[in-house]
Amino acid sequence: MHEWGVARELVRQAEGEARRRGAREVRSVTARVGPLSGVAPELLARAYEVARLGTLLESAALSVEPDPVLASCRECGREGPLEGAVLACPRCGNRELVVRGGDALHLAKIEIEIGPEPPGGEG
Amino acid sequence: MCETCGCGLPEAAKRRSGEHPREHVEEAVLYRGLLAANDAQARENREHLLARGVLGVNLMSGPGAGKTSLIEALARRTRGRLRLGVIEGDLATDRDARRIRALGLPVHQVVTGSTCHLDAAMVHDALHRLPLDALDILFVENVGNLVCPGVYDLGCQLDGVLLSVTEGDDKVAKYPVAFRRANFLCISKTDLLPHVSFDVSRPGQEARVLKGDLELFYCSSVTGEGTEALLAYLEAGRAKLS
Ligand SMILES: Nc1nc2c(ncn2[C@@H]2O[C@H](COP(=O)(O)OP(=O)(O)OP(=O)(O)O)[C@@H](O)[C@H]2O)c(=O)[nH]1
Ligand SMILES: [Mg+2]
Ligand SMILES: [Zn+2]
Ligand SMILES: [Zn+2]
Repeated sequence: MHEWGVARELVRQAEGEARRRGAREVRSVTARVGPLSGVAPELLARAYEVARLGTLLESAALSVEPDPVLASCRECGREGPLEGAVLACPRCGNRELVVRGGDALHLAKIEIEIGPEPPGGEG
Repeated sequence: MCETCGCGLPEAAKRRSGEHPREHVEEAVLYRGLLAANDAQARENREHLLARGVLGVNLMSGPGAGKTSLIEALARRTRGRLRLGVIEGDLATDRDARRIRALGLPVHQVVTGSTCHLDAAMVHDALHRLPLDALDILFVENVGNLVCPGVYDLGCQLDGVLLSVTEGDDKVAKYPVAFRRANFLCISKTDLLPHVSFDVSRPGQEARVLKGDLELFYCSSVTGEGTEALLAYLEAGRAKLS
């Protein structure tokens, strides 16, 4: 399960950026994950639950932003996302498609709380 | 930019100058690649191989599609014409490495343990344990897994996927990631075609939706069918390096 390594990298990068900005805590983190990235969002979320422990992201919720695969059909000209694991035009069934997007695997955003370190964890 | 007051001053500077509330929440919009470290290492590997005039070839497939057998068949066929070396990625054993060593090829085994794929750092480490100056082509046999290896750039000049006819002709759309990375697709075990129902045109046609310039080969490591064409393609790739 390579999602474990990806989750650790997500936390590492988010924490590094948060510290650089003087944050005491990360409130939420957003990843952008496309279906062609090879990372399953559910598995990433599960791995994240472990990867965040003991870091500035300890209580940060993870959300995953989609990056749809867009296909344009050379036959009927339809442009739009594909349906499931089918490499054919959802409108006309043609298989001559041009595919773009859907590869994203990004740390998209973090929401951080700036301020002095709370003594012993209390406000 | 600062979310609190919209000014362009860096946070730390403002906190120091006291012109800013000491505590606030801000959002940082980043969109940074999570594979950046691997990609940087892969670029270094690619340059390393190029500098030595070695063509790196990453072979990906599901378990047992015939990667090791194909390397063996190519090695038997090329005898002398091209100098081959191999990096073997395996979860636990060195069985494949022993098969390659038996042919007299330089081989380095990477045991990945619980990791389901090779990454650029593992390949980098292996590069320093092989006699690159004495090689023309370096095969990197990835872990048998059609999902995870596709995520990681190893820094090879060519990435290839094997799909054996016994796996079914519907696999490209189900496991698109590796095919999207691939420069070539090798339909393997073609000697078994009489025994299975497999539309030989389907995988190539689906894979070209994901990767427009994909090269296609049909090989049997048992009869040797198609291995000459694949070898000629790799030889041309090697010649283009220098
Ligand atoms: N009939 C036939 N059998 C083949 C061919 N290539 C490989 N095999 C058989 O398929 C099985 C798996 O072959 P390997 O070469 O070990 O496959 P692999 O992809 O290296 O396997 P892993 O490294 O374990 O993922 C072996 O029993 C081979 O003898 C082929 O072209 N034709
Ligand atoms: Mg093998
Ligand atoms: Zn994996
Ligand atoms: Zn259409």
